[in-house]
Amino acid sequence: MIRLDRIEKTYFARERDVHAIGNITATIAAGEFVAIVGPSGCGKSTLLHLLAGFDVPTGGEALVDGRRVVPGTVPKGLGYIFQKDTVLPWKRVRENIALGLTYRNVGRAAIDKKVAELLKLGNLEGFGDAYPHQLSGGMRRRVALLMTLACDPQILLLDEPFGALDTHTRTLLHRELIGIWRQMRQTVVLVTHDLDEAVTLSDRIIVLSRPPSRILLDHRVDIPQPRDVFSVRDTPVFTENFRTIWRVLGEEFREGTAVEAAA
Amino acid sequence: MTLPSLEPVARPASPAPAEGTSRQERLAATTRRQRMTRLRLLAWQVALVVLFLAIWEIGTRLSILSKNANIFDPFFVSRPSQIVSRLYDWTVGVKAGYLWPHLWATLGATMVGLVVAVVTGFFVGLLFSQKRELAIVFNPFIVALNSLPRIAFVPLITMIFGLGLASKVVTAWFIVFFLVFFNTFKGGMAIEKELLDFCRTLGASERQLTLTVRIPNAMAWIFTALPNAVSFSLIGVVISEFVGSTTGMGYLIIVSLATLNAGDMFASLTVLSLVGVTLVSLFQMLERRLLKWSPEFREQN
Repeated sequence: MIRLDRIEKTYFARERDVHAIGNITATIAAGEFVAIVGPSGCGKSTLLHLLAGFDVPTGGEALVDGRRVVPGTVPKGLGYIFQKDTVLPWKRVRENIALGLTYRNVGRAAIDKKVAELLKLGNLEGFGDAYPHQLSGGMRRRVALLMTLACDPQILLLDEPFGALDTHTRTLLHRELIGIWRQMRQTVVLVTHDLDEAVTLSDRIIVLSRPPSRILLDHRVDIPQPRDVFSVRDTPVFTENFRTIWRVLGEEFREGTAVEAAA
Repeated sequence: MTLPSLEPVARPASPAPAEGTSRQERLAATTRRQRMTRLRLLAWQVALVVLFLAIWEIGTRLSILSKNANIFDPFFVSRPSQIVSRLYDWTVGVKAGYLWPHLWATLGATMVGLVVAVVTGFFVGLLFSQKRELAIVFNPFIVALNSLPRIAFVPLITMIFGLGLASKVVTAWFIVFFLVFFNTFKGGMAIEKELLDFCRTLGASERQLTLTVRIPNAMAWIFTALPNAVSFSLIGVVISEFVGSTTGMGYLIIVSLATLNAGDMFASLTVLSLVGVTLVSLFQMLERRLLKWSPEFREQN
């Protein structure tokens, strides 16, 4: 379970302080798949950083499984996927996936077994001995995901993980992610600027305002699981959900543009 | 320095052969054409070398040229046949074995200097890239030392460390260290915060981060610097031999100058250029081998 308790974040700078996160309180239950959307600069990624302990909040606190997140320490059982490529280029795929397990001094045999399972899960059988530069961007994304899954996280924080990919690759990865989540039921928090992606994948969407951000809308996506990521976009219920959120989010985008134009 | 390559990147595909030929035939034809192109280019290169040597050899034998122009006077520029016979004398002829101690002295000092410089440059670079304060404190001194013409220190180094191996190694180290240090430092600063944070979420301790991310990353940056480093090391050693030593290829060159012996001079230069080319290509091969996981990385740096 994740709890954000009146959390705030301000970046102090000489010219102008940036009040990124206004005051956010939210609870995410274990096993939930939540997407956070909002205009750019609204502190979506900052929220994830605060949850993972990469950054210090200026007010309030974040709790993971009831324990306060200590800045500088990653909470136990938490996995994090960045938008940037985070595989080690000098290690083979197999060694990359095993990385978290070697940090934990897991035995050789157990590592081999786990890595074989994960390669299968990520449809990367036959690529275990490849170097990352020999893989496509989508495959490298899968390797990063498998590196995280090797550590059996209970919570997955996804920070615009598919942002840099083409639509086709992205949709395939959506399918894989949903499949993995249905099997393992981690708590997933997905930060994205792509509303399509949010509606396709998540059970709940939190819409943030422009900074200093607060929650504009906490919407439950009533599309039944399991979903087929290819056909779900064509259903009326998808459009309905999309519209409900877009009414709020689109307004926020429009105002943001107006502010920029006035400035 | 790495030899800059003037070879074009890739030739555009040749026009396809007539319709109807099988895939194998086309492939074979393409391979044959490529091989012919390579052979033709190689023939040109060989022809240029032969032409150069021929002008040198014949020009120095024509009295009308050698009497009127220093660059054709064998007293100054020797001639290819004389260089070959001198090298023959030094290795298996009348002075058999004369060359080897000098060659080994230069090679040995180059390698020792290289190893010492790479190891020290690596650790200092890694340390500085992780301790920002250290880097800031030392920054002006390093900038100052690096912008000084370091060759100016060679006489001082010779004064302190004498005429033997130590001077040569210290000179090579002094020149190569900065190259390796800057590369490692730059590599350390270039690690993305996301990569370190990601490995932290996988459970890495600071020590494990250093072992599995920071050190391999720095090594990659060093490997790209190796061909340059070995070339600089050789330069350092030869300069040190010029300034003061009793062995080495640089010493042979200085002795040739003192005795105005162009034959010895060119024989030494020939050996030295062979040494340089061989070392640099060996280290380029080593670099390719060590960085086989990243063709992009080699090109970027």
